[in-house]
Amino acid sequence: MPDRSLGLLDVFGPVMIGPSSSHTAGVARIAFAARSVLAARVERARISFYGSLARTWRGHGSDKAAIAGLLGILPEDERLSFSPELASREGLVYEILPVLESPPGYHPNTVVLELAAGERRLYLRGASVGGGKILIQSIDGFQTALDGSLDAFLVLHRDEVGVIALVASLLARERVNIAQLSSHRRDKGEEALLVVEVDGSAARGMAEAIRGLKGVLDVVLVPSIASGARAGPAPRGEGAGR
Amino acid sequence: MNWRFQSAAELLARASESGLGMAGFLVARDAAYAGCPEEEVRGELAHRILTSRRALDKGLSEPQASLSGLTAGAAVKLASSALGPVRDDFFSKALAYALAVNEVNACGGKIVAFPTAGSCGIVPGVLWAWRDSRAPELGPESRAFQDAFAAASAVGILIAARATLAGAAGGCQAECGAAAAMAAAGLGSLMGLPDGACVDAAALSLKNCLGLACDPVAGLVEVPCVKRNAFMAANAITAASLAAAGIRSAIPFDEVVGAMREIGDALPASLKESSEGGLAATPTGRSYWEKLR
Repeated sequence: MPDRSLGLLDVFGPVMIGPSSSHTAGVARIAFAARSVLAARVERARISFYGSLARTWRGHGSDKAAIAGLLGILPEDERLSFSPELASREGLVYEILPVLESPPGYHPNTVVLELAAGERRLYLRGASVGGGKILIQSIDGFQTALDGSLDAFLVLHRDEVGVIALVASLLARERVNIAQLSSHRRDKGEEALLVVEVDGSAARGMAEAIRGLKGVLDVVLVPSIASGARAGPAPRGEGAGR
Repeated sequence: MNWRFQSAAELLARASESGLGMAGFLVARDAAYAGCPEEEVRGELAHRILTSRRALDKGLSEPQASLSGLTAGAAVKLASSALGPVRDDFFSKALAYALAVNEVNACGGKIVAFPTAGSCGIVPGVLWAWRDSRAPELGPESRAFQDAFAAASAVGILIAARATLAGAAGGCQAECGAAAAMAAAGLGSLMGLPDGACVDAAALSLKNCLGLACDPVAGLVEVPCVKRNAFMAANAITAASLAAAGIRSAIPFDEVVGAMREIGDALPASLKESSEGGLAATPTGRSYWEKLR
């Protein structure tokens, strides 16, 4: 599954708590990204493991990794090892569900997160594709292909003419370069999801402006979780000890 | 500048056109993608090289013991043993260092995945052993040392582009196998071999890992992973030795990676990190699983 070409610091990294880049670090990153997509403190979570993860999650600490990510803890943070204790302190209720039979088309290392916070709900499916790298393949029924290497705006909008142009021109005015843009529709319905991946971190304050555009229903910013120099500054913790 | 490449042949051509060499080209590419100065990429490289050293020192300072009991101080035992048949300081250190880093990983310590956590001891083990034994002037801040880690990364990038670095998708050839090939290129770089010869060393190494199963006992990154890090360090050193002698791989690197992908696809799911076959399914392997449940 050749993805977007990797950089040096994708292969030499991440700095992480062992023992598995795919079953520990990758899972933590998927959960961390899911927390950004939910855009709220997670209150309830069902964590389903598929494929290799369903069989080996215990020994890899994949449960601790997923919980850590949901709490906003990155793979290199030593608090990952005792995330279940932190979860009970922070009022996160979770269940772990290993599913031995994968639906067709699922990557051999897949995690599905069903999250709730107040009225907000999120269904997110991610694959841990090796070396800590991830691919978010489904968000609330929209097929996606987010790898977390760049900041991304998820723009939920009415499926009508011109929304993409409005978003693109707003970003252009602020001189933000769009690295990748993809539009996704559910099977039926009138809503569409626009995924806008942008270079650098200059666009981080722009979610509100995008939300104000005609036809836009909701916007969240999913900050890059890439390693090292590729990503912008906060909120990542990587490289802090340099 | 065109930063794209799909094969080793293309990467070597671009690196040579740019006049930067393979490591320099890739550092510049990371910086261009991130929109930051090259010093920032090199700073992060230095930070990770240093982090790998801390893991190594931790693994040698006291016997590492995992919760399962499957990992129990092999690095310290090997480093303090005088009974090995090979008395070369570099070689002995490389084996002990690779073990040390990976034992720290198995015990939930902090490491740098390279390319994965289960294979994280191989490249730092070989490169730090060379530094300690043969080139004490090098360190995380030296360009030559950073370039060796970059050369190793280059091989990982190429494998990821045409195959995979995930044991669950391609078996252990994609993890410890990839790491051995990466370490061979990194060692080649430290020995002053040209970029093409470093990639050739990677091809020689990878050819000798093809088909490697990922069959971890009890689903833990311990057996056979930890000790395999030492074995793959030896593989990398063998490959760099052959390449330094001018021995070429009969099959070019890009084609070896193609074969690796084909073999990975053909491996049954039971041998791709599901712990349902191979060593995990042996009577002893199963008994560990039962004990730990």
